[in-house]
Amino acid sequence: MAARPDEGSCYNKRMPIIEVSHLTKTFRVPQKTPGLTGALKGLFSRHYKEVQAVRDIAFSIAEGELVGFLGPNGAGKTTTLKMLSGLLHPTSGDARVLGYIPWKRERAFQKQFTMVMGQRTQLWWDLPAWDSFLLNKEIYEIPEAQFQETVKELADLLEIQDLLEVPVKKLSLGQRMKAELACSLLHRPKVLLLDEPTIGLDVLMQQKVREFVLAYNKRWKATVLLTSHNMDDVAELCPRVILINHGQLLFDGTLDQFRQKFEGKMLTEAMRAAFTATH
Amino acid sequence: MRKYWFVFSIYWQEGLSQRASFFMERFRALVVLVSFYYFWSALLKDRTSFAGYNYSQMITYVLGMNILRGLVFASRTYEIAGEINHGRLSGYLLKPVNFCLYTFFRDLSEKSINLVSAIIEVSGLALLFHLKIQWPHQATSWLLFLLAITGATVLYFFLSFIVGCWGFWTAESGGPRFLLELILEFTAGAFFPLDVLPRAFQDILKLFPSPYLVFFPLHVFLEKLNTAQIINGFLMEGFWILALGGLAWLVWDKGVSAYGAEGS
Repeated sequence: MAARPDEGSCYNKRMPIIEVSHLTKTFRVPQKTPGLTGALKGLFSRHYKEVQAVRDIAFSIAEGELVGFLGPNGAGKTTTLKMLSGLLHPTSGDARVLGYIPWKRERAFQKQFTMVMGQRTQLWWDLPAWDSFLLNKEIYEIPEAQFQETVKELADLLEIQDLLEVPVKKLSLGQRMKAELACSLLHRPKVLLLDEPTIGLDVLMQQKVREFVLAYNKRWKATVLLTSHNMDDVAELCPRVILINHGQLLFDGTLDQFRQKFEGKMLTEAMRAAFTATH
Repeated sequence: MRKYWFVFSIYWQEGLSQRASFFMERFRALVVLVSFYYFWSALLKDRTSFAGYNYSQMITYVLGMNILRGLVFASRTYEIAGEINHGRLSGYLLKPVNFCLYTFFRDLSEKSINLVSAIIEVSGLALLFHLKIQWPHQATSWLLFLLAITGATVLYFFLSFIVGCWGFWTAESGGPRFLLELILEFTAGAFFPLDVLPRAFQDILKLFPSPYLVFFPLHVFLEKLNTAQIINGFLMEGFWILALGGLAWLVWDKGVSAYGAEGS
């Protein structure tokens, strides 16, 4: 089992790396009446519904913190992560990551963070992972010596030395996830946005990924914001949790504070209680 | 620029790893080439010329047309709409990479594979049937031809990129792309020389970008244009490159702001 980092309450005393204030995202979703008649009507007149995915949330994350970003499906976690990575423009509000406005997508910012989506891969399906590594080396302009050193270090940590020359399509899901993680960290990012990094993995592989994230966090003082439905990920990795539901912030504090608030319930039960209370 | 040349190289590797698709595509191109050859040969069998082309000029046009189809129209910009709609665009947006340049080099990779194959096929056909090709007499014609096909490649890329960007606003960009490709190939002279069309129609077409994709470069190659026509052609080609380049930038900029990153 991975050693838990010190559960500190001093996270807000260090330099903030991620700052979010009054962040709101509203989507305009097209509506369609079911059936063929609805499809025909939709050809000529389309109605839209506004959906508020994130509502006026605010938080701050300091350098080196490992924070669990929790909530049920559709709570707004991934939308928030997408705004913090610069994929989405917010409807209103502000966010700074490493001092940059993410959605301006400045090169200097992009070279210092990474986002790993458990259900997405950046690896080339028909080619060995090594080719994807080389592509990222060029894209992030990583010097040769640093690249070789980082690959060796990551490959050792993740135990993927023998897999780098095998076409990605021949790898198992767990092996692919480990190669994906390595590929995402070649440029030694300071900020890691991890969206369900252990999804679909078996227990053993989940454990390895958790150990790796913790080791990377300690080695590079990286700031990690992690979403997961796997409470073991949070319990083992994150001294601090942020809870969100219906786009609104429900809780922001240490794991211990969270447990105290819900009278020492197990994390999963406490989460359920918190979300039920907001319905 | 090093990163983009690596993109070029990695797509070559991917292209060569998908051998079945590659050979199918080349077979299709070969069928088109042989069909056009027999069609125009039959048409010119009992004539000395047709629409101002003698046999040698027409055969050169048909072979050149096939090579330019491989160069100008070979593209992977059709993937852009899918990348947008399925959220795969996110993978590019997260990285310090210019997506427009990335896709241009991805296209270059596709074009170079197709170009090399088309040259081999055309040369094979020319040798097999002892075809007489009309080469340019002047060195400047070669230079102008190279300039014209470079412009045509960039021009088609911008057109195709803009259509791909429709994916930002609709999931149904397949229809517009199909229509664009059909109209473009017809009006570019990629099925037949535009000289066979009525004069008034030709004059109208020359105001649009399509004739500068295939017809104009091949006319430069065949030395069928006078100086004024060449200058006019390059001015029009340059104008459309600038206009469509500007429009591509605008559409991309607006589109990325509206991007919903769905599915990722």
